[in-house]
Amino acid sequence: MLASCTSTTVDEFRQGETGIESDESVVILGRRQASDFETKSDFVECVGDRMSQGENAISIIPEREFIDAMFPWFEPRTAPLRASDLEQLLAEDVVAQKMNEFGIRYMVWVEGFTETTGRTGSISCTVGPGGGGCFGFGTWEDDANFDARVWDVISLRNVGTINTDATGQSYLPALVVPIPLIARVETNACNRLAAQLKDFVNGE
Amino acid sequence: MKIRFKNQPLYLRLSVFSIMISLMSSCGVSNLVIEGSFPTPNINKIPLTMAVYYDEALKEFSYMEYSETGREEINIESGESHINLFNAVLPAMFDEVIEIEGFDDPKVLEVDAIFAPVIEEFQLALPEKTKLEVYEVWIKYNMRIVDSMGDSLADWVVTSYGKTPTETFRSVENGINEAAVVALRDLASSFSLNFTRIPEVQDWLNSL
Repeated sequence: MLASCTSTTVDEFRQGETGIESDESVVILGRRQASDFETKSDFVECVGDRMSQGENAISIIPEREFIDAMFPWFEPRTAPLRASDLEQLLAEDVVAQKMNEFGIRYMVWVEGFTETTGRTGSISCTVGPGGGGCFGFGTWEDDANFDARVWDVISLRNVGTINTDATGQSYLPALVVPIPLIARVETNACNRLAAQLKDFVNGE
Repeated sequence: MKIRFKNQPLYLRLSVFSIMISLMSSCGVSNLVIEGSFPTPNINKIPLTMAVYYDEALKEFSYMEYSETGREEINIESGESHINLFNAVLPAMFDEVIEIEGFDDPKVLEVDAIFAPVIEEFQLALPEKTKLEVYEVWIKYNMRIVDSMGDSLADWVVTSYGKTPTETFRSVENGINEAAVVALRDLASSFSLNFTRIPEVQDWLNSL
């Protein structure tokens, strides 16, 4: 499989100072309140994995481990929607204790999805006694748009928002054998968002 | 070996034919047993001894999803997962929890109250029907708290909801299972966090 071109834009809006100590960690959570879509856990996991690797790596608490340990406070209907809601949540002894055990300094809420549009073309395949093959051409556009809101657990404030928008056109020409040229928009959105978040949390 | 029907009586031929038809039609129904693990809630315990009674309807609860042509499509069994959920949630909510086999169980005399949940309704929405890229499950419960005489202390309705997105290699059964597990977790969260906020429960707790 070959990769097609992708264009990615990252916007950062900083609302406060940031920085993280070596004994502090970050949890990345997917928003799942919307009625018609939900942020995929694979994407959230991808961002976390990228942030915990390379130079200036950050300690990331896996989403599932955090949500299960904090159950039932971070379920889709009970999770805090605003940074100011954290104060009320942390007033619960059991919640504050668990947050301290994890050493969480920042909570990052990721929300978004990938949409496929402009599907055109057609491919037909046939199989006969002498062999088989496909002929045709298909194309579509993928658009991955994700927002990440960073909450400081100490100041109980939203310290910034990072938006990533990746678009790419995929092609599938078929001359006997289909040759997919796939635009890896979600992977690119994940890589760019993780890199920007890592710098943001490190205060760079 | 050959089976000859020509010389068999008509009733036998009809019986064999109807059995074959019923077997062929039942081939289309897939059976799904909801499976999932439920974490113990991280909440403060209420100093009460609670008995829990799971009736047969709850233990063996199943829901049949029909196709648009009225054909039986998916049978969803969720009774066991409900019991696993309550068994994880209740010991975290109350000081002591005892499971009873019926209201005539002698152990009911040792408890403050009996919790008896009932599933009133189960609904499923599949992407192929809604045209949305999510599997959705709704479950409506009647939560009942009764005293050792069987008289009602509190009775309220809880509706839980769960959804999960469609994915390229996710089967329909897996999508429904994931959505049902999210709905069960939703039930656990609203039940455990809102229990003491139910006016009838508050009145009962104040009377103790």
